[in-house]
Amino acid sequence: MLLIRAIVRPEKKDEVLAELSTAGFNAATMVDVVGRGKQKGIKIGGMVYDEIPKTLILMVIPDDAKDKVIRMILSIAKTGKEGTFGDGKIFVSPVDEVYTISKGTPGL
Amino acid sequence: MKEIMAIVRMKKTGETKKALVAAGVAGFTAVKVLGRGNLVTDPQTIEECKEKLLSMGMDEFSEAGDTEKMVTSFLDGSRFFPRRLFTILAHDEDVPRIIEAVAKANLTEYGVGDGTIFVLPVSDAVRVRTGEAGEAAIW
Repeated sequence: MLLIRAIVRPEKKDEVLAELSTAGFNAATMVDVVGRGKQKGIKIGGMVYDEIPKTLILMVIPDDAKDKVIRMILSIAKTGKEGTFGDGKIFVSPVDEVYTISKGTPGL
Repeated sequence: MKEIMAIVRMKKTGETKKALVAAGVAGFTAVKVLGRGNLVTDPQTIEECKEKLLSMGMDEFSEAGDTEKMVTSFLDGSRFFPRRLFTILAHDEDVPRIIEAVAKANLTEYGVGDGTIFVLPVSDAVRVRTGEAGEAAIW
């Protein structure tokens, strides 16, 4: 199983989550975060904003669903045709074990 | 070295903390998050809870259809709810003990929404105070 950490624009989160839910990936966790990328934030006039609000979406998915989920997030979270700085990032990490507490058994 | 991520009910934060201390794990990081689980495929699992909530929520101002729709979406996992995300770093051999403690503290009779526990591998950890790395940095 894999943990997907997707950092997306807050205004895109509803669309991303709705699309994933219809594709059968309903379970998700989201946190409001602030961060900056390699552009060192946004410079507007003399002000530098380097704590830009984003939404972090956490999902654990089966290995074989990785490509599908990532492609889905990429296609929705991208803004404009070429994409824009600040559209976000996706990180994937391995997960050893998963337990659902109410079922009391290992597995998603 | 493992990272244990446990997503639990807000109300169970205190009990989870107590259970962790009892299991010999004092250190953790907790964040307030919004979460939802898998969709409920078998309506039978939420039937009992739904009836209980419907009997509490109805009054002369609410229409039967609306209340039922709200209660169902409240239970079947299609809406996001506040949850507490615990992150616990642990030695490999302590992982089963911690999972058992967290699962026991969070189990309810509702059947759904009790949370999930994920175990992830961690490649390294460093204690800022002393600079020691690896297994020694955990506790």
